[in-house]
Amino acid sequence: MPIVELQHVRKVYDTKVAVEDLSFSVEPGSMFGLLGPNGSGKTSSIRMMIGITLPDSGAVSLFGRPFDRSVLARVGYLPEERGLYKKMNVLDQLVFLGSLHGLSTAEARRRSKEWCERLNIAEALKKKTEDLSKGMQQKIQFISTLLHEPDLIIMDEPFTGLDPVNAALLMDVLVEMRGHGKAILFSTHRMDQVEKMCDAIALIHNSKLVLSGSMREIKARYPRNRVEIQFDGDDAFLRHPAVASVKHYPGRAEIVLRASDTLNDDSQSLLATAIRCAQITRFEITQPTLEEIFIEKVNESTPRGNITEIRHTAGRPDQPEKVAAHA
Amino acid sequence: MHNVWLIARREYLERVRTRGFVITTIMIPVVMLGFLVGSIVLGAHESMDRRIVVVSQDLPLAEAVQSALQTAPRTASTVQPNPGHFNLRAAARPLKFTVDVMEPATGTRDLLDQQLDSNEIDGYLWIQPATAPGGQPAFSYTPRSSSDRATSDAVTAALNKVLLRQQLARSGATAGAADALMQPAEVQPVRGSHHRDRASSMVSIGALFFLMYLVIMLYGMNVARSVIEEKTSRIFEVMLAAVRPEEMMAGKIIGVGAVGITQMGIWLTAIFIAAGSSSGINIGGETLHPSLTGPQVAYFLVFFLLGYLFYSAIAAALGAMTNSEQELQQMNIFLMLPLLACFVALGTVMMTPDSTLAQVLAFIPPFTPLLMYMRVSLGHPHAWETILSITMLAGSTAVLIWLTSRIYRVGVLMYGKRPSLSELLRWLKYS
Repeated sequence: MPIVELQHVRKVYDTKVAVEDLSFSVEPGSMFGLLGPNGSGKTSSIRMMIGITLPDSGAVSLFGRPFDRSVLARVGYLPEERGLYKKMNVLDQLVFLGSLHGLSTAEARRRSKEWCERLNIAEALKKKTEDLSKGMQQKIQFISTLLHEPDLIIMDEPFTGLDPVNAALLMDVLVEMRGHGKAILFSTHRMDQVEKMCDAIALIHNSKLVLSGSMREIKARYPRNRVEIQFDGDDAFLRHPAVASVKHYPGRAEIVLRASDTLNDDSQSLLATAIRCAQITRFEITQPTLEEIFIEKVNESTPRGNITEIRHTAGRPDQPEKVAAHA
Repeated sequence: MHNVWLIARREYLERVRTRGFVITTIMIPVVMLGFLVGSIVLGAHESMDRRIVVVSQDLPLAEAVQSALQTAPRTASTVQPNPGHFNLRAAARPLKFTVDVMEPATGTRDLLDQQLDSNEIDGYLWIQPATAPGGQPAFSYTPRSSSDRATSDAVTAALNKVLLRQQLARSGATAGAADALMQPAEVQPVRGSHHRDRASSMVSIGALFFLMYLVIMLYGMNVARSVIEEKTSRIFEVMLAAVRPEEMMAGKIIGVGAVGITQMGIWLTAIFIAAGSSSGINIGGETLHPSLTGPQVAYFLVFFLLGYLFYSAIAAALGAMTNSEQELQQMNIFLMLPLLACFVALGTVMMTPDSTLAQVLAFIPPFTPLLMYMRVSLGHPHAWETILSITMLAGSTAVLIWLTSRIYRVGVLMYGKRPSLSELLRWLKYS
């Protein structure tokens, strides 16, 4: 029984279509990545999953039943726009948010302390939220999402703004949750994270689903036509007939091979040529990365669109990208 | 319901614990009392001495005016001020006149004008002898300050008295008969049990009116501000994953309102303790006995609660529609205008609580809480008027809350530009 199931969901704000004919499902004990560029409809889809907004058509089921607010106590939601009461004491805040999800005060208090110790921020409990560093606030928010031990954890861009150490810490927690049979859905545009962690993905672009399925399945659809070489010496081998395109960096080249039935032979032949020209320190044959698949898919679905880079390096702007009326 | 309770409790505790709450609770009555004490003390120290000059060729006439001014107590308050009873206006103390009499000469007017300018005299009365025999002389009074009505009135009254005595004498009345005729009637205000201590209860009712106005405005603004705070801190999405927007709004209004009621309760208790103590509140030798009847307090609570709900619903909608304090400031006019209008109408309603104007105004829902409370406390509205106005207020509050909750539901997730009116109407249609 899938934990989340969306069937042909559609949502329109005024004249803008936010989500169009979206279907996917999330299994228990799995990690699901919802991918897409800014404004593609990720947040709109998530809001419909937890009843903040209702779909115009289509159906949302949680825990095998049509959506009903009573299941919200089993859902933990971390919104993209983080929010805590700034003036409130951290422990009070966690207890308050926990009791809104049905915990008793004593239980919420006990779990808050446990979690803060686990995430190394026990000293924050007595402080005012506004006195904490941004990273600490993120952790508090993270804890508030998990405090009531939800069976479904939904996180909208959970790792943005976290330093690598803390991001890794929180990822470990999520992986552990998956081990306990919880379903985890998160949206992101950081493909490297998805590739590492997710069991299944759905890729949306311009409100439409362009790709979905399990990670293994999707990857299997793509040939091993990428070659990465680190070398020292002549780069003449890059003009090998099997090479379709090259990104050439000092001492390093990322090669895409021409599509053919004899990819394996082509790559070996390329290696042989390279050895004659230069000193090879690394030679690796890979599948396209998720990022490349993503770019390819997005470009397919918008012929004139020319996205080559979707990774976000800069922080997100304070204002969310969409200001259309949300019903 | 449990969620509403949790949200209300959070709002309440977070507010009551702040230093701001303690400060406003203490400062507002202190400031109000300060104004009261200040005006009384200032009034008490205001000089009641007046020095005027009567210029006339007819010296006996001028001297009659002189003696009339110097002997008679010059105000209506010949009634002894009741000890232990608060005198609203210190101006009720009698004026004391020093009157000089002069014969006109060249340069007299210039001299007197000079003396006016240098504050040596408070005014001068110029008596022009009658041009025709048997005619009235012409009088002109030049005050130092045209706002000093009490002095001009006193001079006019003295003149009338003197002239009347002259007329009586001319028509043959003896001095004794004239005196007897001119004995002023004394009216003693009788204090029935119902209207006991009217001036004092006016003060209490006025103070409550002001408190109601203040608390509704203050806490209405608080509701709006707290909605905006939740918007800017983006806590809404976290909350909406667990509770309905209607629950959030209800919890917020109840929680913030409870803070207002707590504050009001502290003030009312303080007033009652003061009223209960036999000495009253002693201010500069005068004593203030706040007195309120049970029904007055009950009506106060009813109108305060309904008024708060009415205005906080508007405030919640304003908060949901705007994105920042600055934007809220611009929209505030919708909250402030009706309240200010009540303040403007206060004078009329206080003086003539049962006039048609007061009746009509008190039926308009935004004005009902403050103005109908005033009417009920000071006038004698029919029972149906009271019931109808409360029903109308309660009904319109319910409609308003319904509308607001729809605006709220859409508005809280809106960041960016303020909605236009047509967008707002569209929000109301969303479910």
